[in-house]
Amino acid sequence: MNSFIDYTVNGLVIGNVYALLAVGLALIFGVANLINFAHGSVYTIGAYVGWAAITFLHTPLAVTILIVAVACGALGAAIERVALRPLQGRARIAPLLATIGLSFVLDQLVQLIASPNPRALPVDLPDWRISIGGGSVGPMDILIAGVGLSSAALLYGFLRFTKLGYAVRATAQDRDAARQMGVNVDGVNSAVFAIASALGGVSGLLVGMYYNHIDPAMSFQATLKGVVAVVIGGVGNVPGAIVGSLLLGLTESYGIALFGTTYRNLFAFALLILFLLVLPNGLFGGRKAVEAEPMTGTFIAPSRALRVPDYVVAALAAGAFALPLVAPAPYLLQVLTNSWLAGLLALSLTLVAGAAGQMSFGHAGLLAIGGYASALLATDYGVMPLVSVPVAGVVTSLLGTALVFPAFRLRGHYIAIATLAIGEIVSLVILNWESLTHGAMGVTGIPPLSAFGYEVTSARAVYWLTLSALVAFALLQARLSSSHIGRTLRALRDDEIAARSHGVKVTRYKALAFGFAGFGAGVSGAISAHLFSYLNNQTFDSQLSLLAVTMAILGGMGNILGAIVGAVALVGLPEAFRFAAEYRILIYGIVLLLLVRFRPQGLLGTT
Amino acid sequence: MHAHFSPTRRALLAVTFGAAFAPAALAASPQGEPILLGVSGPLTGPNAQYGAQWKKGFDLALDAINGAGGVKGRPLQYQFEDSQADPRQTVAIAQKFVSDPKIVVELGDFSSTASMAASSIYQRAGLVQFGFTNSHPNFTKGGDFIWSSSVSQADETPRLAKYATELGFKKLAVLYLNTDWGRTSQTLFSNAAKSLGAEVVAAEGYQPDEKDFRSTLVRVRDANPDVIVLISYYADGALIARQIRSVGLKTPIVANGSVYSPKFIELAGDAANGVFTETNFFPGEQRPEVQNFVTKFRARYSEDPDTFNAVAYDTIVLMAQVFDQFGTERAGVRDGLAKVKDVPSVIFGKATFDPETRRVAGARAVYLEVRDGKFAPWDGVKPTTN
Repeated sequence: MNSFIDYTVNGLVIGNVYALLAVGLALIFGVANLINFAHGSVYTIGAYVGWAAITFLHTPLAVTILIVAVACGALGAAIERVALRPLQGRARIAPLLATIGLSFVLDQLVQLIASPNPRALPVDLPDWRISIGGGSVGPMDILIAGVGLSSAALLYGFLRFTKLGYAVRATAQDRDAARQMGVNVDGVNSAVFAIASALGGVSGLLVGMYYNHIDPAMSFQATLKGVVAVVIGGVGNVPGAIVGSLLLGLTESYGIALFGTTYRNLFAFALLILFLLVLPNGLFGGRKAVEAEPMTGTFIAPSRALRVPDYVVAALAAGAFALPLVAPAPYLLQVLTNSWLAGLLALSLTLVAGAAGQMSFGHAGLLAIGGYASALLATDYGVMPLVSVPVAGVVTSLLGTALVFPAFRLRGHYIAIATLAIGEIVSLVILNWESLTHGAMGVTGIPPLSAFGYEVTSARAVYWLTLSALVAFALLQARLSSSHIGRTLRALRDDEIAARSHGVKVTRYKALAFGFAGFGAGVSGAISAHLFSYLNNQTFDSQLSLLAVTMAILGGMGNILGAIVGAVALVGLPEAFRFAAEYRILIYGIVLLLLVRFRPQGLLGTT
Repeated sequence: MHAHFSPTRRALLAVTFGAAFAPAALAASPQGEPILLGVSGPLTGPNAQYGAQWKKGFDLALDAINGAGGVKGRPLQYQFEDSQADPRQTVAIAQKFVSDPKIVVELGDFSSTASMAASSIYQRAGLVQFGFTNSHPNFTKGGDFIWSSSVSQADETPRLAKYATELGFKKLAVLYLNTDWGRTSQTLFSNAAKSLGAEVVAAEGYQPDEKDFRSTLVRVRDANPDVIVLISYYADGALIARQIRSVGLKTPIVANGSVYSPKFIELAGDAANGVFTETNFFPGEQRPEVQNFVTKFRARYSEDPDTFNAVAYDTIVLMAQVFDQFGTERAGVRDGLAKVKDVPSVIFGKATFDPETRRVAGARAVYLEVRDGKFAPWDGVKPTTN
C-alpha cells in the first residue's frame, strides 16, 4: 500500500514534467492544427539559453526564466514567420514536414555551438523536501507544477476572456471566417507560436534543472511524450493536456510497478493506442476535434504529377542496371543499394499514404518485422535466405496489417500518431520478447543472402539484387495503381465519406493497401538484415520512420517514380555532404526546408 | 638494447613515456606519404559526444607521434567519417574505406548495431576493423580481420562483483542499461556475484533515453538491497545516482567502470559522493603511461581525460607500433596485431592480443570511491551497512 502511494506520487511527478511540454504543443495543435515537431528543439534551446545565462551572466532563477521565455518566444515567432507562414494555404503536410526539417536544423545548431556532451544545469533552490509515503517531493517538483498549472490557468483565462484570446479561438475554428471578420490571423498565429515556444523553452530549462542534465539530443523523446499526452488530453485542449500528461505519468509508473522498468514506454504507447481507439478526441476534446480533421484530401497536397514518359523511365532503369559495369566503385554501389532498399520503404509508404490516405509514421516497424522474421528464420531455424526473405515479406504483410487494422477508422494527424506509436511498440516488443528475438543482444551471425549455397556478397551482386526487387515492386505497384483498385484507393484518399457512400468497403481496401505495402517494406527489412548480419531493436528506429515519410513527400505522395527519387535524394544527400563532417545534417535539414518551401507537392508531384 | 631501436620505436617511447627518453625536438617532422587510418564513428546524432571524445584522444596521440618523426618518416593521419552510429551509414563507409587503397586499417564504429553491420564487408575485403569500444561478445567473431581492444566484460564485471562483495555487500540490486552491452554485463555480474555468495535481489533494465527513475527506485527499494549496482554510462549513471539521493534512499551505490568520467561528478553533483567504482584508467595512478597521457591531455585541453579519450589515444599508439614493426599492408596489420607484444597502454599497462579471441586481456583496475566531489582510490574502509 505504501508503495502504491509512492508509485502514484512518482507518476504525478513525471506527469507534471510532461505537462510543461504538452501545454505548448496543445496550444499550437489547437490553433495551427499542426503537430509541431520543432517544439522539442525549442525546449532544448530553452535549456541551453538558460545554461548560458546562468554560466556567463550568473542570473538568479527568476531572471533566467524571463530571459529564456523572451528568447524562445522570439524564436517561436521567427519560426512561424520564416518557416511556416509561407506555407499557409498549402496542404497541411507541408508545415508538418517543415517542423521536422526545422527540428534537424535547430538540434544540429545546438550541438555545434554547445558540443554534444551533456552538461549540468545546477539550480539554486533551498534543499528541503516534503515526505509523502516512502518518497518525497522537493522545491523543483513544486516549481514545475506551479509553472505548469499557472501557465495553463493563464492561457485558459487568456483564451476565454481577452480579445486576442477570442481571436485565437476564432482562428482555430475557422481561419477564413476569422480573416473575413477582420481578425489579423497572421498576428494571432505569430502570438500563439511565441507563447507556446516561450513555454516550451521554460519547460526545457526547468526539466534540465530538475535532472541537472541537458544534452542536444533531448528533444525527440520530449516531443514524443508531449504528443502522447496531448492526444490523451484531447488535441488543442490546454487543461486536457495537463490531465493527459498526469495520466500518462501514472500509467508509466504503474506499468513499472507491475512489470518492470523496461516496459515503461510500452505502457505509454499502449495507452495512446487505447485512447485513439476508444476516445479519439481525448478526455476533453469535443466532437469538434474530429470534424476539424480533413474531410477531403487537404492533408496531402493536390497537384498535377510531372509526366515522365515511359521510355525515359525505362532508360533510367536500364542505366541503373548498367551502372556497375561502368562505375564499379563499391562505395557508390553501396550508397545506391541503400537507396534501393530505402526506395522499397518509400514505395510502401507512398502506397498507403499517397494512394490510400493513411499517413504512416511508424513504417520502420514494418522493416523491423521483416528483418527479424528473415533473420530468425535463417539463424535459428536454418531456412535459406532465398526462402526466408519472401516469407518475411508475407509475415510483415499479415502482421503489419493486423497491427494497423484497428487504426483504420482514424484520419489525418490521428493515423499519423497511431502509426508512430505502433512503430515504437514493435521496437519495444522486440526488446522485451527475449525468448523469440534475443532482446537487447540482437540477432548476430545472420547469413548473407544466398540460394542453394551460392552467396550474394559482392557490392555489385547485392546492388543488382536490390535494384531488381525495387523495380519488380515498382512495376507491381504501378499496375495496382492503374487498376480499379488504385482508383478506389485514391477515391478513399480524396474523400472517404463519398467513397463509403458509393459502396466502397473502406476497411477492406485499406487492408489491401497495407498488405501490399507491408510485403515491400518487409522484403526491404529482410534484405537489410542479411546485409548487416546483425540486427537489434535499434536498427530500425523511429528516426527512420520519419525519414521514410520525408522521402515519400519529397518525391510526391503516391508517385511511384517520385518515391524512388526521394529515396535516392535523401540517402544520397547526407553522403554527398560528407565533406562537411559535423555540418552535414545541418545542411541536409536546410535543403529539406527549402524543398518544402518551394516545392511542397514533392519533386514529381502527387498522383 | 636501446641501440637497436629504430627512430620510430624511440618516437613511440617518447609518446608513451614522455620526452625524457627521446628528444622529440630533434626529430625531423615527417615528410613521407601519410599513413591513413579510416575512422567510422558518430559526429552527429545522439551519440555524437563519444565521437568528439575519440577525436581528442586521437589528436593528442597523433601530435605526439608526428611531432616525434611519425612512423618511419611517414606522418599518421586519420579520415573521420561520420556514421551517426547508424548501420545504414556504416556499411556505406565500410565500402568507401575498403575500396580506398590509402586506408590501412579501420577504427570503430561506436555501437554494436552500427559496427557489426559493417563487419562482414571489412572481413571479406581483408581490412582490419578495429573496434575499441565494441564490447558485444560476438563482435570479434565476425572473422580474423575483426579485432577489439575494448575491455572484455568477462574481465571487468566479475571484478566489479568482487569489489561489491569486498565492500561487504550481500544483497545487490542491479540497474542496467538495456542494450547488448548492459545486458551482457548484467548477466556476467550476476553470475559472478552469486559465485561470491551474494544475492541479486532485483535487476532492472532501462532504455538509453530514460531520464526518470523514481518508480524504478521504488521497485529497487522494495527489494530491500544493501547496495544498488549501476551498469551505466556516466550520463545515465549520474541521473540515477542523483535520483537515488533525491528520493531519500541512503543505500550505498557501486557503479561499473564506464561511469568513470569527470562528467559523472559534474552531472551527479553531491549525489556522486560515496559512489564506489572501479576503473581501468585513473589519472592519479602513477604508472608512466598514465601520467604522460594525463599531463599532455590537461596541457592541451585544460580538462581531465575520461575513458573514451584514453581508449582512443591507446588505439593510435597501438597502431603506430604495429605499423612500425609489421608494416602497413592490410594483411600485415592483421598479422601484426596477433604478434605485437606489450604495447604501452593507458588502459592495459601492457597490451598483448590473444590471437584466438582477437581481444586483449588483463585491463588494469583501480578501486575508487568518490570523496568530496573527486574520484579517489578506495581507502579500504568498508561502509557500514544496516
